Amino acid sequence: MERTEAGDAVILRTEAVSRRFGNFVAVRRVTAEFRRRALTSIIGPNGAGKTTYFNLLSGALRPSQGRIILERRDITGTPQQRLVRLGIARSYQITSLFPQLSALENVRVALQALTRSRYNFWTPRARLAGLAERAAELLELTGLYHRRHRPAAALAHGEQRALEIAVALAGAPRLLLLDEPTAGMSPEETREMMRLIVGLAERHTVILVEHKMKLVMGISARVMVLHHGELVAEGTPEEIRRDRLVRRVYLGQREH
Amino acid sequence: MAALTPELLALQLLVGLALGAIYVLLAFGLSLIFGMLTVVNFAHGAFYMLGAYVAFAVAGLTGNFWLCLACAPVVLGLIGYGVERFLVSPLYGRGIDYPLLLTFGLSYVLVEAVRIIFGKQGYPFDSPAALAGSVEILGNYFPLYRLFVVAATGTIVLALWLFVEWTNFGLIIRAGARDPEILRVLGIDVGRVWRLVFALGTAIAAMAGVLAAPLQGVTPEMGDSMLIESFVVTVVGGMGSLGGAVLAGLLVGLVVSLTSVVAPELAKLSIYALMAAVLLIRPQGLFGRAGLLG
Amino acid sequence: MDLIGATAVARGWRLWEPIARHRALAVMLFIAVLPWVTPYQALATNILIYGLFAAGFNLLYGYLGLLSFGHAALFGGGAYACGIAIVRFGLPWYAGLALGTLGGMAISLLIGALATRTRGIYFAMITLAFAQSLYYLAYQAQGWTGGENGLRGVNVRRVELFFLPLDFTDPVARYWLMAALVGLALLALSRILNSPLGAVIEAVRENEARARACGYDVAATRLMTFVLSGGFAGLAGALQALELSTVSIETLDYATSGLVVMMTLLGGAGTFFGPFVGAAVFALIQDVFSLWTVHWQLLAGAIFMLFVLFLPRGIWGYLLEWSEQRQATQSS
Repeated sequence: MERTEAGDAVILRTEAVSRRFGNFVAVRRVTAEFRRRALTSIIGPNGAGKTTYFNLLSGALRPSQGRIILERRDITGTPQQRLVRLGIARSYQITSLFPQLSALENVRVALQALTRSRYNFWTPRARLAGLAERAAELLELTGLYHRRHRPAAALAHGEQRALEIAVALAGAPRLLLLDEPTAGMSPEETREMMRLIVGLAERHTVILVEHKMKLVMGISARVMVLHHGELVAEGTPEEIRRDRLVRRVYLGQREH
Repeated sequence: MAALTPELLALQLLVGLALGAIYVLLAFGLSLIFGMLTVVNFAHGAFYMLGAYVAFAVAGLTGNFWLCLACAPVVLGLIGYGVERFLVSPLYGRGIDYPLLLTFGLSYVLVEAVRIIFGKQGYPFDSPAALAGSVEILGNYFPLYRLFVVAATGTIVLALWLFVEWTNFGLIIRAGARDPEILRVLGIDVGRVWRLVFALGTAIAAMAGVLAAPLQGVTPEMGDSMLIESFVVTVVGGMGSLGGAVLAGLLVGLVVSLTSVVAPELAKLSIYALMAAVLLIRPQGLFGRAGLLG
Repeated sequence: MDLIGATAVARGWRLWEPIARHRALAVMLFIAVLPWVTPYQALATNILIYGLFAAGFNLLYGYLGLLSFGHAALFGGGAYACGIAIVRFGLPWYAGLALGTLGGMAISLLIGALATRTRGIYFAMITLAFAQSLYYLAYQAQGWTGGENGLRGVNVRRVELFFLPLDFTDPVARYWLMAALVGLALLALSRILNSPLGAVIEAVRENEARARACGYDVAATRLMTFVLSGGFAGLAGALQALELSTVSIETLDYATSGLVVMMTLLGGAGTFFGPFVGAAVFALIQDVFSLWTVHWQLLAGAIFMLFVLFLPRGIWGYLLEWSEQRQATQSS
């Protein structure tokens, strides 16, 4: 009985996943489980293989070995656009939006892509039931409602990253993958973004890649630590903080 | 349908190769400019026409064909240098369509300017006396001038290949075609390299114009259809591939001349059918994606 | 309900909102006064036809960001389809117009299916090349097209409009009929721009990779837009066939493709009114300068180059920007 419960609590699993680039092993036999409706952070020093692992999870890269299981389904090697339809959404490290379109239209177009009339060329788009309203809700959730008429290009950097998350949420994902969402942000913007992510984690399953350990310790349910492509520790933030190996990996780094 | 004797076939092959040689030179310049500057040069046909008219003017003054062949590329190279410097370079970073639109407008202006200076009607252009007549090879007679066009083009292409492969500037071109950032990292004045490449491409177009003039005469509009046909060559060969430009140019020339024996009314249409076939089977071009010198 | 207004592009919207909301109506108003402000009737008709042609081209270039240099094939194809329907098959005028529109769409489907198979940079070259092939085809197919001499005798004398007979040889009546048809076409264009596909078109222009990541098929979007654009170009060509009573081989010429590019950029690509402004300005340039010199093309080309270099947003684009800035300074 306990096994099935555990199985249902887990949304995504990687089984001995590896990824090689030529002779270089970026990710080595990582076996891990991600729990539903929780925030799991993947941390590690630069070059630990976090981004490669992230790309394996989002389908941008194919694992060299191992399997990736979404719920009970083997999704190893499934192309990214199929994964979007299966409910895996990701953000990018580099901002990728429709710059001249308003914030609202950015989200609305993403919502429209999932409707049957996405290529309809005759009905006024305002008549697509509920899209604008749903887009407005997502902007409210990401704290951008007051900026909804602004072109994306005219938003501040932090707001653009938040808009990216709103666009990612438009696909009603079961799993939201965020790749260093606070990269290049001011401390103020970082706090704002962290507050947003905590809020999202109440309703969504969020996997966050971050190299600033401090940032995620207070908000994550689980933390995974990668080092040299291997999973060296996994547990609650409290357990991670006490872990000798992690302290050596991180503190050792910091002293240099 | 004319009886396709071996003699006629051999002659048509030469006619096709000579036409193909002109295409090769035009497509080579287009590919060079595109490969380095990502500019689709719509004025390329006008430069070709201008090269022929410079030759026409020089021939009128001196009567010396060889002087024409030397002058036209120099004059057009200078014009190309100036065009890149003052008209095209301000448009970098504004999207790939703007240089294209500008060179299109420029071709309009150049064609009309030539009409003003030389008149709307065309002129015949005599092939040099030394290259008039035919030569006998294995019992067949071949027009000497067409043989010359093929040989001259072969020489030019070989010289360009040696230039790109063995000189420092060629090394810069090859590196820059792969990644312009490399040039900046190495501290090379990229703007100057681009001006020179544009000038070189323009000069090659002018040479094509001079070589073509004795075959078809000179008219202000002679560049229009040549531009379109060299686009076909570029699409067939693969954009930015110099090797592709050479092979596709010859292929297209042969297709035109052989079709004109079998079905003359379809000669002009045949190359578009060839392009459609390439797009269906190999959309990146027969030799595309292999890099600038693939 | 301000949500709905906001779904449009943020740029160029506020002050012009009433005009923009009824943009097709506004152009029709412009069309209605046109015959009184142009020196003579034929010029107004010319602006009407080329304005529609440019508006169709603008759907592809201005809104989707795809540059076609083969729109002559769609315009000329529409003209020939209409002319052949009337001259060779004796069909009524409205069938000619319908076949012209469909002809433009069919040709763009054929060219577009091939041209969208490769990278965007090839598009201008490939469309130009296939348009040229259509020129040679029409040149050869003398039995159908009249070849070099063009297709003569596209004569429509009377038009029965809902049992209301109209004398089509009367230039005024002809102008009004054409104005009404162009107005209807613009209403359709406006609807397309406001549709879900209109949103996808803009999204693809803004960020191709992002549109793909959202789940849109970029190549299919391009093809659909090209075909719709071909419909407008074909209708414009068919109207020209009726206006001139002949179809000349030059409608398929490279210069026709270039003309519509110039008009659209001059007026303002990506704006609804720009193409009409461009068509009007270009027609006036042609009209004024050709009185003065036969080499007016030199000036047209030079003016076009100046616009590419210094005024890439076109006349209407800058009017929009200027009014927006004025409004911004007033409100702050």
